[in-house]
Amino acid sequence: MTAGVRKLNRRPESGMHRQQFAGIRITRLIVAAVLVAAGMPSLASADDVAIGTATATVVAAITVSATATLDFGTVYQGVPVAIANDNASAAIFTITGSASANILIFFQLPEYLSLSDNSDRMDIVFDATDCSVDSTGSGTPGGAWGGGWPDVSPHALPSGTAIGGGGATSVYLGGTVRPRIGQKAGSYEADIVITVAYEGT
Amino acid sequence: MSFTQRFLAHAARGRWLFTAALLSCFLIAGKLVGGVLVAPTVIFISDINRTGRLEVQNTANEPREVTVRLAYGLPQSDSLGNIYVNLKDSNITDPKAAVDWIKAFPRKVIVPPGGTQVIRMVARPPKDLPDGEYWARVVVTSREGTTELPSPEGDQAIETRLNMVMQTALMLKYRNGECMTRLELTHRDAWLTEEGMSVLLGMSNLGNASYMGILTCTVTDADNQQVLEKYLNIAVYDHLRRRVDLEFDRSEYRAPFKVAVSVSSEGRTDVAPEDLIVGNDVSYTMTVE
Repeated sequence: MTAGVRKLNRRPESGMHRQQFAGIRITRLIVAAVLVAAGMPSLASADDVAIGTATATVVAAITVSATATLDFGTVYQGVPVAIANDNASAAIFTITGSASANILIFFQLPEYLSLSDNSDRMDIVFDATDCSVDSTGSGTPGGAWGGGWPDVSPHALPSGTAIGGGGATSVYLGGTVRPRIGQKAGSYEADIVITVAYEGT
Repeated sequence: MSFTQRFLAHAARGRWLFTAALLSCFLIAGKLVGGVLVAPTVIFISDINRTGRLEVQNTANEPREVTVRLAYGLPQSDSLGNIYVNLKDSNITDPKAAVDWIKAFPRKVIVPPGGTQVIRMVARPPKDLPDGEYWARVVVTSREGTTELPSPEGDQAIETRLNMVMQTALMLKYRNGECMTRLELTHRDAWLTEEGMSVLLGMSNLGNASYMGILTCTVTDADNQQVLEKYLNIAVYDHLRRRVDLEFDRSEYRAPFKVAVSVSSEGRTDVAPEDLIVGNDVSYTMTVE
């Protein structure tokens, strides 16, 4: 078995480095193409035509957004409220990036919600089937299931989760709040943290 | 040099133009929803150029507060081949961690709608740092919405609000001196499942830098007909056990099956060639009945 050896390029900061954005190597020809496409053809003249090859390595950016929050609405003392991950009130996260790329998704989920003055807490639980990963990226909980990982645990999302072929994946999250009989009235809040990383980097 | 040539040369050096063009293409294509876009997905810094950058764009139509911090977390795996990352902010003992000597700034910024913010990284490594690659995770955090906490409608009513916090954990790699990778297969297994086949691979990287490559699994049946081929980008830092589920309808093919597994550092299109460390290739074929 041979070892791959890479020696770092000892050049001082090169023009190529300065031209990198988002890992994208683009030649000046691409810039010219963009400008022309943007409606600046008058900048080109017969004298300025250049012939060459353009190469590009495109690294898709990654975005994570919450399209909808997990919404329990108004709840009452002693009455638990459960929202399934296919319910319209489930949280919806949308992840966009390189199509079919494997990603790692993990949640940091709260165990309780608290009043702003921290004088009372209300339990919240997330069961082993409270999450679905929709690789079609439809963003519609309860919609026609097109593929992915339905009803999985948000505490340990399956390995091998991937961004869908269309460049987006949706994650639906349900949960249950359990107000006690003696729960103080008021407005309770907590954070749900979703973290996404590319697996192959 | 004509005006046009000068303009194009100037434009080619300006990152803003690439940013605008790239993001415009994404937006026109309808690929983005409101969120925080982070690019690139891996940042390379070296002892030659100790600075790096990432760009954060707010694609939503309201301002977003974005925070940036450095943490540590390599891809790890359990015995079943599930991959996970355990992000650590403190008590980091791995000597390969670069968290303590890489700084990001600004660390907190409000990005206006459609706005882009450059986050710069500066490495100040300790003296006499051994050759090799050192790692950190750049964690970009944003919160969804800034709505006020709902007020209870009645004296006994309870209102709830769950804040959605989104994090993107990018790998940052600092390369010092001569970097090399050498991958070895330490475990291989394959078995049939109801959905098709699963392959379990154990890999060890004996080099001083991460191995970035492509894992390919090719399944053929008893008639040597190709059933499917699956590619995965992988990164092996030290040890990794990776399970690959290969889904196909077994009833349509004749057993026994063969699965050819190969790992190669060639062919990655998501990383600039000058950032890839060319490593060795490994391959193995298993018969599965």
